Amino acid sequence: MSQETQVVQEPQAVQVHPHVVAVERILAKVLRIGSIFAGAMLAVGIVAMLATGGTTWSVWLITAGLITLLATPVMRVLVAAIVFVHERDWLYALFCLVVLCALAAGVKFGMVG
Amino acid sequence: MITTTLILFPIAIAAGIMGAILGLGGGIIIVPCLTLIFHVPMRTAVAASTVSIIATSTGAAVAYLNDKLTNIRVAMWLEMGTAAGATTGALAAGWMSQRVLFILFGVLLGYSGYNMLKTRGKDRDRPVTPDRMSRRLRLAGAYHDLALAKEVEYQVTHSIPALVIMYFSGIAAGLLGIGAGIFKVPAMDQVMGMPFKASTATSNFMIGVTAASGAVVYFARGDVQPLVAGPVVLGVLVGALIGARLMVRMKAATVRRMFIPLILYTAVVMIYKGVAR
Repeated sequence: MSQETQVVQEPQAVQVHPHVVAVERILAKVLRIGSIFAGAMLAVGIVAMLATGGTTWSVWLITAGLITLLATPVMRVLVAAIVFVHERDWLYALFCLVVLCALAAGVKFGMVG
Repeated sequence: MITTTLILFPIAIAAGIMGAILGLGGGIIIVPCLTLIFHVPMRTAVAASTVSIIATSTGAAVAYLNDKLTNIRVAMWLEMGTAAGATTGALAAGWMSQRVLFILFGVLLGYSGYNMLKTRGKDRDRPVTPDRMSRRLRLAGAYHDLALAKEVEYQVTHSIPALVIMYFSGIAAGLLGIGAGIFKVPAMDQVMGMPFKASTATSNFMIGVTAASGAVVYFARGDVQPLVAGPVVLGVLVGALIGARLMVRMKAATVRRMFIPLILYTAVVMIYKGVAR
């Protein structure tokens, strides 16, 4: 019986490269910690702002929370790039690079415009 | 101040839930809400909305990771088109007619909304024959569907037309400040033949990436006002965590049925803006 259940569960583990699983786990952790951290800073900042009427440190805390959140999508692209390099999938590593460059270009043009 | 925050918070949570389920940024809810109800200046509202797109994206991602709903390869392939389009849009802002673009994209959205309406209810199992490019790029994927309690494997087709559509939707986003997710979901669902849930999850990833460069610009310009953006973003983040957990358990047909009224509404609003201006 127990052997049968093991056989049923197996297909999920196939196909995926061990490195990928590790990096995805890191990514999951980064995202989770990032969003909890950002959410906590925002919550404390907002409560402090409402209680004290907008002191500098409460505004600073909210801003820090927003910036933490802002960094997460870029982190995801970076981690994806690391995965592709690990897989020696140079084409997709290049795609990630193109996306990162386009983001940088967007910031540059946005500042001018 | 306290009442504003208290009213804003539940609206932001609702926007986050909707955004996470449907793969949208929720700008069509947040921007009118901030400007019309709370009389926040347009620039501040758009800046808050842009940061909250990232909140939707990240909040939803936390829930999706275990189900492998997000197709990172498709996301990276299409994101090149969107990013290039957004840059073109920013450069071409001076000499392109906004009126024509609004009508054009409105009609396009209306058409894909009509197509979704026609195929509604069908949790389609139609076979997709992958094109050469998608085989070469290995765009096919698989995810674990909690509603069906099984692994769903899928193929992807029309990868180059979809990239071209993404380029133009990127231009629309850069010029008109709209179209974060509302173009991406139909492009993946209808053009590429991806399952609807994989489409909204992948769209969710992409909108966060697209919004990142815009958000940096708004931050640098000082348009992101912590007192406005803070409550909105926190609410959207909480909403996205809830919405994504709901979405993984929903049937694809249900998610699609929720998407249809929103896409038709956006189509009408855009055509109206083009005609009335």
